[in-house]
Amino acid sequence: MSSVTAGKVAASGPSALKRFATSPTMQGSLTTIAFLLLFVGYWIWLGDTFVNVDARLLDVHQNAPILILGLAVMVTLIAGQFDLSVGGMCTLTTFLSIGLVVQKDWAFWMVLVACVLAGLIGGLINGLLVVKLGVNTFIATLGTGGVFLGISSVLFGGTQLAPTDTSPQLPSWFSGDGSLGSFGEKFPSVIVWIGLAACAYGLFRWIQARKPEGRTDTSWTVISAAIVVVLAAILFALNLPAWVDGVSLTIGVLLIIGLVLWVVLRYTTYGRYLYATGANPEAARLAGVKTDRETILAFVIGGLLAALAGVILAANQGAASPDIGTGFLLPAFAAAFLGTVIMSTGRFHVWGTLIGGTFLVWVTQGLIVGGVPFTWTDVINGVVLVAAVAVSTIFRRRA
Amino acid sequence: MSSTPRLTVTGLKKSFGSNSVLHGIDLAFEPGQFIGLMGPNGAGKSTLIKILAGLYSADEGTIKLDDETVRNLGSRRECGFIHQDLGLIEDMSICENLRLGQQPMKLVGPILNLKREREAAAEAIARVGLDRDVDTPVSALSPGEKTLVAVARTLDRGARILFVDEATSTLPAADSRRLTDALRRTVDDGATVIMVSHKLSEILDDTDRVVVILDGEISTDEPTASLDREGLVERLVAKESEMAVEGEADACEIGEELIALEAACGGRAGPVDLVLRGGEITGLTGLPGSGLHDIGFLVHGSMRPVSGRVRASRKIRRALVPPHRETQGGIPVSSIRENLTLSSLPRWRGFGRLLALGQEGRDAQGMADELNVVPGDAEGPYGVLSGGNKQKVIFGRVLLKEPQVYVLCEPTRGVDIATRMEIYRLIRKLRSKDVAVLVISSDSEDLFSVCDRIGVVDDGTVEELVPAEEMNTQQLEALV
Ligand SMILES: Nc1ncnc2c1ncn2[C@@H]1O[C@H](COP(=O)(O)OP(=O)(O)O)[C@@H](O)[C@H]1O
Ligand SMILES: [Mg+2]
Repeated sequence: MSSVTAGKVAASGPSALKRFATSPTMQGSLTTIAFLLLFVGYWIWLGDTFVNVDARLLDVHQNAPILILGLAVMVTLIAGQFDLSVGGMCTLTTFLSIGLVVQKDWAFWMVLVACVLAGLIGGLINGLLVVKLGVNTFIATLGTGGVFLGISSVLFGGTQLAPTDTSPQLPSWFSGDGSLGSFGEKFPSVIVWIGLAACAYGLFRWIQARKPEGRTDTSWTVISAAIVVVLAAILFALNLPAWVDGVSLTIGVLLIIGLVLWVVLRYTTYGRYLYATGANPEAARLAGVKTDRETILAFVIGGLLAALAGVILAANQGAASPDIGTGFLLPAFAAAFLGTVIMSTGRFHVWGTLIGGTFLVWVTQGLIVGGVPFTWTDVINGVVLVAAVAVSTIFRRRA
Repeated sequence: MSSTPRLTVTGLKKSFGSNSVLHGIDLAFEPGQFIGLMGPNGAGKSTLIKILAGLYSADEGTIKLDDETVRNLGSRRECGFIHQDLGLIEDMSICENLRLGQQPMKLVGPILNLKREREAAAEAIARVGLDRDVDTPVSALSPGEKTLVAVARTLDRGARILFVDEATSTLPAADSRRLTDALRRTVDDGATVIMVSHKLSEILDDTDRVVVILDGEISTDEPTASLDREGLVERLVAKESEMAVEGEADACEIGEELIALEAACGGRAGPVDLVLRGGEITGLTGLPGSGLHDIGFLVHGSMRPVSGRVRASRKIRRALVPPHRETQGGIPVSSIRENLTLSSLPRWRGFGRLLALGQEGRDAQGMADELNVVPGDAEGPYGVLSGGNKQKVIFGRVLLKEPQVYVLCEPTRGVDIATRMEIYRLIRKLRSKDVAVLVISSDSEDLFSVCDRIGVVDDGTVEELVPAEEMNTQQLEALV
C-alpha cells in the first residue's frame, strides 16, 4: 500500500525542492536560519566588535539567570499554565542568598537549603491555588509573585543589600573573583567537548533515521556522516575551541540544569504526561494521566528553577536590590516562546528556550554595540519575539 | 432566488509533504443535484472540500463556477460550507448566530431593527424545518438542531451550493433524518448539495448521485438509482475480505465478576446497577442526553460516583475509548507513537526509570501496522490523521494497555465501513474469560455486531439487559 503511494508521489508530487522547503525539519529551522543571517549581517556591519567570543559568552554568562527563568516558565507553559511569579521568586532567593548571610549570619549550606525550600514551597502554593482551588493561573501567580517580592522587602528592609567590611562575607567560592559567579572561572572544557561529541553523534543518528526514498542504507549513512563533518568544520572555522574554552562555571551550571530538565522531559513518563496535559487535559485525563498532579509538579519545578535563578543571580552580582528581577519576565517568556519556533514546529523545549534566549540577547547586544542606547533593550526584545513568532507562523500556515 | 451555478473541478491535485492525497480529481456538479460523497477515511474527501473552501491550496487544477475560473469558493456568496465543527457561537441565540456576518437590518442610524431580524431568522429556520423560538441560545439545542441552524445560516446568506462534511456522523438517527430532509428540500428548490457520509442508508435513500473517492481518485460516479446496497459496498471496499463477516466467535466461558455498579450516580447517569463479568461483551444504547456516556465514565473510573458505589478491585486495569474523539481522544500536537503509548508508558521504563524510546517506537510501530493506520509512520503527527485513523490510534492505545475492562464509547463514530468491520473484528477478538467489554453506542449496528447482551439507557438508568439474539433492530429502535 505505502509503496504504491510512494510511487505516485515520485510521478506526480510537487518538486523535490518544494517538498524540502515545506518539510517539518525545514520549517523548524527557518527561524534559526533567519537569526544566523541576521548575525552574519551584524558581522559585516560591526566586524570583530560583534563577533567576539569573550563578549558574546559574557552576554550568556550575565543572562544565565534569565535563561533559567525561561526554563522555569517553559515548564509551566508545557503544562498549559502561566507562571508570572518567577520574577518575584527569583528576587526573593537573591535576597535570601545575600541577606541570610550578611544580616543573619547563617551557614551558607543552610542558606542554600532555605532558597531551595522557598522555590519548592512557592511552586507548591501556585500549583495548589491553580489546580485545587481553581484560581485563574494569571491571577494566582500574579498575586503570589507580588507576595514573594514583598517577603524579600519585609525580611531585609527593602533596600539594596551587599556584604560590607564589617558584615559576614559570602563564601569565596560563591561570589567574587575566581568564584562560581565570576566570568573568569571556566568550566572544564573536556566536559563541554564530550557534550559536543554526543551532540554530533545524536545529529548523525537523527539524519540517518530520515532516509529519503530511493537511497540505499550505506549511501545515506555516508551522506549523514558527511553532513555532520561539514557542520563541524564550519564550527571549527568559527573558532569553536575558543568558545568551548570560554564557557564559564555559571554557563556550565546553566547547561547542566538544561540537560537534567531535557532528560526529565524527554525520557521520563512525567515529561510525556506533562506535554499531554498541556496539549489536551481532558484527553490526557481520560487516558489515565493524573493531570492535577502533573500540573502541580510543573509549578513546583518552575518554582525550584526560579529559586536557582535567584541564587545564580546573587553569585553573579554579589549583591541584591529590590528591582533586580523587574524586567526579567518579558525576556524569560520571550525565550520560551522563541524556543517553540527554533528546531521545532510549535513545541516548547529546553534547547529551543536556551538558544532562543541567547539569540535574543545577542540581537540586542549587536544593536547596542552598533550605537543604539541600551535603554532600547525591552523594545528590541518585544519586537524580536513578536517578529520571530509571527514570521514562522505565517510560513507554517502557507504550507 | 438567484440561480445555481454549475461547479466544475478539473485536474485537482494535492500532496502534504510526501503524502500525495488527491491525484487529479475531475468533477462537475449540475444544479439541483443531491450528491453523496463517499470513500474510506483518509481518502481525501475533507481535503477536497477544504481546497474548495480555500482552507488549503491545491497543487494543481482549476475550479470553475459556470464559465468563470475562481481560486476557491470560500468567499463566494453562492457557496456554503458546513464542516464538522459547525462554527456556531454557543452562548448566542439562534437569531444572533444567523445575523452574524450579515448586513445588519437598521431602524435608524446604527439602531438595529430587532423585530425584523427576528422575523427573518424565524423564516430562515422554518425553511429547514426547525420549529424553535429564535431567541433560544444555541447551547440549549440538540446536536441535530444545531446542525439545522448551521444549514439555515448558510442558506440565509444566499448559498446555492452546499457542502456538508460528515455532519450526520455524530447525530442520532432521528436527527440525521431531519437534516437530510432539510437538504432534500433545498435541492428540490434548485440548489446543489454535496454531502459526505459513511452511512449507506442515508446515501441510498436521499441522494441522486454517488461519488466515491478511492486512493485519491474518483473511482465511482453513478446515479444512486443504479446502485443497491451490495453494489455500493462493493464500490467502497477495495478488497472483498475486508467485509468478510466472521463466523460466530467461539462461545466464551463466562468468568468472574470484574466490576459492578451498585445504584451508582454521576453526571446525568444513575442510579445504575450493572455487573460486568469476564468473557462477556455488554452493549448499552440510548439517546444523547440520557446519561449514556456517563455510565462509561463511571465504569472506567474517570468519574467518581456522587452516590452509590462502583465496586472494582484496585488491581483491575481499565481503559476507555472516549465518546468525543476530537476533544477527548487524542493529543493533537503529539506524534502517533506518543498517542499510542500514553496509557501504558511505564512499560517502557528501563535503566534508571528512563524511557527506552527505541523500544517504545518499535512497539508503537508494530501496533500502527497491525491496525493498518494510514499514513503508517508512527513518528508522524497524529493531528492530521483522518477521523477513522485517529479512532484506530485511540483503539491502539487501549489495546496496548491490555486492560481487563474495556469501555468503548461510540467505537465506530465517523469511520468508514471497512474500518467499521475491522473494529468489530477487533472487539470480538477481545473476548476472553478474564476480560469484560462494555460497548456504549448510539448506533444500534455496533451493538448487534459485537454484543452478547444489550441494554437501553433511559433517563440515566439501565433497563434490564437482554441477550442480543432475542432482539432485532426494530425492537431496539422502538425502545430507544
Ligand atoms: N494538514 C494536513 N497535513 C498533512 N496531512 C494531512 C493534512 N490534512 C489531511 N492530511 C492527510 O490527508 C489524507 C486525507 O485526509 P482527509 O481529507 O481528512 O480524509 P477524509 O476522506 O477521511 O476526509 C490523510 O492521509 C491525512 O492524514
Ligand atoms: Mg473527513
